[in-house]
Amino acid sequence: MGKFIVKRLLELIPTMFVIVTLSFFMIRLAPGGPFSSERKVSPEIMANLQHKYHMDEPLGMQYLRYLGDMLHGDLGPSFKNKDFTVNQLIGASMPNSLILGVTALAIAVLFGISFGLLSAVCQNTWVDYTTMSAASIGLSVPLFVVGPVAVLVFALRLRWLPTSGWINGRQGWKTIIMPAMTLALPYFSSIARLTRASVLETLRSDYIRTARAKGLKNSVVMVKHVLRGALLPVVSYLGPAFAGIVTGSVVIEQIFLVPGIGNFFVKSALNRDYTLILGTVVVYSAILVVMNLIVDVLYGILDPRISYE
Amino acid sequence: MITAIGKKKNKEQGKNEFNQEMKSVSLAADAWRRLKKNRMAYIGFWVTVIYLAVGLFAPVLPLHPYAQQNTDHAYLKPSLRSAGIVELETRKAYFAKVMAKEGRTAYNQDEQAQIDSILKRNKTDPQQQRHYILGTDSLGRDMLSRTIYGGRISMMIGLVGTVTALLIGIIVGAIAGYAGGAADTILMRFVDIMYGLPYMLIVIIMMAILGRNVAILFVAIALVSWLTIARVVRGQVMSLKNTEFILAARSMGADPWHIVVHHLIPNTLGIIIAYAALSLPEFIMSESFLSFLGLGVSAPLASWGSLISDGVQGMQLYPWCLLVPGIIMTVFLFAMNFLGDGVRDAFDPQSKNRV
Amino acid sequence: MTDEIILQVKDLRTYFYLDAGVVKAVDGISFDLHKGETLGIVGESGSGKSVTNLSIINLIQTPPGRITGGQVLFHGEDILKMNSNRLREIRGNRIAMIFQDPMSSLNPYLKISTQMMEAIQLHQGLNKKDAKAKAVEMLKLAGIPGAEKRVDYYPHQFSGGMRQRVMIAMGLSCNPDILIADEPTSALDVTIQAQILELMQDLTRRLGTAVIMITHSLGVVAGICDTINVMYAGRIVERGTTDDIFYDTKHPYTQGLIKSVPRLDRDTGERLFSIEGQPPNVIDLPDCCPFYPRCHRAMEICRQKYPPVAQFINGHCTSCWLYSPKDAGTFNLKDEKK
Repeated sequence: MGKFIVKRLLELIPTMFVIVTLSFFMIRLAPGGPFSSERKVSPEIMANLQHKYHMDEPLGMQYLRYLGDMLHGDLGPSFKNKDFTVNQLIGASMPNSLILGVTALAIAVLFGISFGLLSAVCQNTWVDYTTMSAASIGLSVPLFVVGPVAVLVFALRLRWLPTSGWINGRQGWKTIIMPAMTLALPYFSSIARLTRASVLETLRSDYIRTARAKGLKNSVVMVKHVLRGALLPVVSYLGPAFAGIVTGSVVIEQIFLVPGIGNFFVKSALNRDYTLILGTVVVYSAILVVMNLIVDVLYGILDPRISYE
Repeated sequence: MITAIGKKKNKEQGKNEFNQEMKSVSLAADAWRRLKKNRMAYIGFWVTVIYLAVGLFAPVLPLHPYAQQNTDHAYLKPSLRSAGIVELETRKAYFAKVMAKEGRTAYNQDEQAQIDSILKRNKTDPQQQRHYILGTDSLGRDMLSRTIYGGRISMMIGLVGTVTALLIGIIVGAIAGYAGGAADTILMRFVDIMYGLPYMLIVIIMMAILGRNVAILFVAIALVSWLTIARVVRGQVMSLKNTEFILAARSMGADPWHIVVHHLIPNTLGIIIAYAALSLPEFIMSESFLSFLGLGVSAPLASWGSLISDGVQGMQLYPWCLLVPGIIMTVFLFAMNFLGDGVRDAFDPQSKNRV
Repeated sequence: MTDEIILQVKDLRTYFYLDAGVVKAVDGISFDLHKGETLGIVGESGSGKSVTNLSIINLIQTPPGRITGGQVLFHGEDILKMNSNRLREIRGNRIAMIFQDPMSSLNPYLKISTQMMEAIQLHQGLNKKDAKAKAVEMLKLAGIPGAEKRVDYYPHQFSGGMRQRVMIAMGLSCNPDILIADEPTSALDVTIQAQILELMQDLTRRLGTAVIMITHSLGVVAGICDTINVMYAGRIVERGTTDDIFYDTKHPYTQGLIKSVPRLDRDTGERLFSIEGQPPNVIDLPDCCPFYPRCHRAMEICRQKYPPVAQFINGHCTSCWLYSPKDAGTFNLKDEKK
């Protein structure tokens, strides 16, 4: 198992490499630069700025320089927010995004599996229909509709929850409820549907028939035999789910004014803040790759047929 | 269950040995029958058709021009009465609030002047006779037509994107699955690497950097969406490749092209159609997502995403700007998701009979 | 085989209600099973063999299936009327069942020891240590080498023949009165088949277990069964001792089956015999003898009504109009030229 993990971590490198390279050249080769939208500055000052940020060197050099810095853990200075380095900016906001993301994932998994299981066990009853309809709605409504509507209803009209802010502020943990639940909604729906389908299919397996033929109680059959196999597709789904949550958080952070990295992301792309964009992409990608690794390992633990020797 | 689908399906009625009528059913007819039985999917089908029809025929429908601004008509509530009257009432309501705050009961000179000017325009300006059934937005543009035209764009992007992704995905998947060996390995490594990229982030970067061009939008979204269909098709082709009826066809001397076209594709068609039905709403969601962030279509074009984004701005006071496109888009996605599910169930003969 | 009857199936009917129509998978079958008897159920695919077995322990998937009529008396008690607690006491304990494909019939995610100990602990109340010892003992009995170590393996770590031995061991671990085996050897190589059959015969004889074995192979049946039920389209068309079935065959279908077996003592130039036609589509089958379209001795009446049971000596019986001319009543007995 250890060897497998090391192998996967090593495979991380080419993927990250591709991502960084792709992003770097895409950003650099596009028209416009970090200084082009500011007020016109005199040519000498422009030349100085370019020199300071090494932008007068050939592109290849800049690339290598960037890689070198990155391997030292230095993601460079932010071009736009000139008082901070990228490391500082990401360091301050990334934890918030992670908290949001993990909370959302936890909500989606816990509720998704429970409701999916419940639906499968009570198949074709009102419990099943309501849950699956709710799940369908959850999948269909876009995040950026649910978010504002939730704010409209729960914060502005009903005044149950705050409109924005974060957990270290005055309102404390209440502020995380709406953003996390909104973010979790489509993934809760997917997981519920997936669990239900998987449990139903597992129930039709031959080995469940064997278990029943041995005279086991229904609850034992469900928990011991069905769940093990049925949860495997859900575990597989965790990888893409987390990736989706990362993406969705970009919008959620905007709507609920969460001080996370998502907020920076779009703005920095529009502002051509090269280092910040790159830094963000690198960090996000690393997190996603590690998450996928964790998911694969988990899957291997649950399914003895997969051998990692 | 895989059936060797030949060229044309004959619908002959025959009698079996017990003198009972035999009905032969083609795959498409069978799927349609199953789809019809699925209540929600059936409704979803017709809702989708209606949306597509409205989108298609939008230019010939009696709608107000979607891009025409009229600042006098800004932020009018949805109403069945004519614009002039609504404008008048809105203005009066506003004045009433001001007057209540200032503690007077009569209009001052300025307010009276405004009311008179509106009354005058009501008599002379034909635009005052318009009916904004779903209200207007911040620039006085009709929400109904903007939503319909926005839908046109969104649906079109969805369709073209899905078709593009399908074409690429099918070709790559079929080649990888059928050829196997080196071609398969290379193509699948490529897919794996691309799968590992946080694609939305890359798309966002692309859109931000390369400009807000509808073509780039297609390319960006399609670029990553063909991956899943390629994998699915490859899997299906690989499992079909070694089935007995393919072996039979080959032993009869059929060449690979013939096999691919006449046997592999029809048997994969079910999955492809189901997948297409489900990826269309995903495409629309992606596009709306980008538009919401300000990276999608640019004015004066609107898509559902950009309309919703605009709506969020004035959400507290003018909720219809958010709710109209929001609800209309949600209903469409809802219908399409049910339809997609139904199509997938209808084409999958392995789903057990539920009585 | 003794004279004590432990199982009586009376007029069992199991129907499946599908979109396309009603499938009468089992349509009125009756037979008895004695203590220690080995009964073979033979028939083509779709004849209702497996459904019969599942119906005996009331394990039919409802929906779409349903046991619509009949009785299954186990030591006098009707299984079909038992409540779920009593039913679960019987299953795995007094009546055990093993299935055709041991790969899909064993839970791939659990160790063999876990799966075997489940039944043992449940029905025999042993603690974990004793249950595991019993499991190892059964595996040894089933001829699995290195049982102490192998008991902690997962199913995919065994070969096909070994897995079937595991299933047999699991089935017999609670010393049931009846072992129901659904095509236990169909998924195996011929050489392994012989071993498995020998094992089953040996063990069940030692433990005094009755066996109901489903198979489509006449060879298997001739080798180890005492009695044979021949099924076609959900009915038993002929039933009797092995000798009677092979040497005093009555029903045209059985005759056809036996003739179809290639024989080593004939001329090599001879054409192989096969029963012409196809098994019927059992959806909405009308009331007639289902074999008549393929029967070379079919009569007019065969097309119109299902034949009653004609009894011979020794429990040998068959359902065929050829042997029940008196009950034809007003129907025409004229031969029908095919």
